[in-house]
Amino acid sequence: MPLLRMRNASFEGGGASAGPVTLDVYPGERMALAIGSAREASIVALMASGIVKPSHGLVLIDDFDPRIQSINCKRVAALVPHEPCGLSESEFVRYVVYRAALWKIEPRRALAHAQLLRKRLRGMHEAFAFPLIGALVGMPKLVVLDRPAAAYAPQILAVLEGRAVFSTHAGSAEARAFLAPPFAASGHGRTPA
Amino acid sequence: MTLRALAGVGIARLYVQRRVLLYACAAAFVVGILQPEGAIGPVVFCSLLGIAMALSQSPGRHPHLDRCEQGAPLFGRELARAKGLVPYLGASLAALCYASAQTVRGSHDAPFDLVIALAAVAASTSTALCASIRRGWPRILYILLAFTAGTMTYALAVTAHALLAGFAFAALASFLALRQYGEALARYDPVEEL
Repeated sequence: MPLLRMRNASFEGGGASAGPVTLDVYPGERMALAIGSAREASIVALMASGIVKPSHGLVLIDDFDPRIQSINCKRVAALVPHEPCGLSESEFVRYVVYRAALWKIEPRRALAHAQLLRKRLRGMHEAFAFPLIGALVGMPKLVVLDRPAAAYAPQILAVLEGRAVFSTHAGSAEARAFLAPPFAASGHGRTPA
Repeated sequence: MTLRALAGVGIARLYVQRRVLLYACAAAFVVGILQPEGAIGPVVFCSLLGIAMALSQSPGRHPHLDRCEQGAPLFGRELARAKGLVPYLGASLAALCYASAQTVRGSHDAPFDLVIALAAVAASTSTALCASIRRGWPRILYILLAFTAGTMTYALAVTAHALLAGFAFAALASFLALRQYGEALARYDPVEEL
């Protein structure tokens, strides 16, 4: 059973549109989708993480429909937004405790996990590392990356190894960076019809 | 919703707005020194502060917090309560500063004025939250409605001398507004912020 199933999923509203997108992401698989526009890439990432509901077509996250089981979807999928967060290294503990509170996780356990991840992401700017660590605090099965920075692709993929990863990109070069070896890529980029 | 999640959202949002909160409290103290008599001062001033703080919870003002909360496994009503707590606490702190200034000026009605101000603030901030995720005319209408809710609480409690009716009105208005806000948040698709 795929963790993420999109069938002709499209969004229209608020002066924006995206899709239709058709794809399956299985557990442990990695998929990068190159989409022409940055806004469209963001909307597809939001749909894949259950935050935005599709206007047409179908999105299933671990067989949950975001239109009626949005909470279940958000327990399975975590979004790492494109925008860097404006936090400094000194705010790390506060940030992790906040994310743990949102996911109703014991703060000490979340902090220990986050500190391990921070060590693995050493060298990555906190503005990019914190949202990724925050997304992993909830132990999601599927991680959705909205236009991740290609420069950090090896570090991001190393931390996400073993999880299902779906990333959207504004260009095919960035998408290729997220499918590159040595981390045994098993997905492929697609362009919406 | 667990108390931890409620506190998490509240603390994070109050932390990013800590300067605004400080200025609001200082302004309330100054206005309290200048206008120490009567409940109309704290009701109007603190309701306006509450409305402003509620509008500052609009999507896009704190994009990182918005994304974290939108992606969290929380129901719309849970998020509504947590986000509603922020402007209410902010405006209540300002009302407390106002009451302190009234006490400094020797007003004996300060505790009574504070209680009415807290009720009016609850009604106006909860209603103003509904404006925070709307655009255009609906937003303006909700802001007017929020101000009317605060004024109505004052009118019932002070002008009509029906204190309990004023509190009942404020409680009912807050309850309905928070429910409405929660339902709107559950349906909300955050694409306009992109």
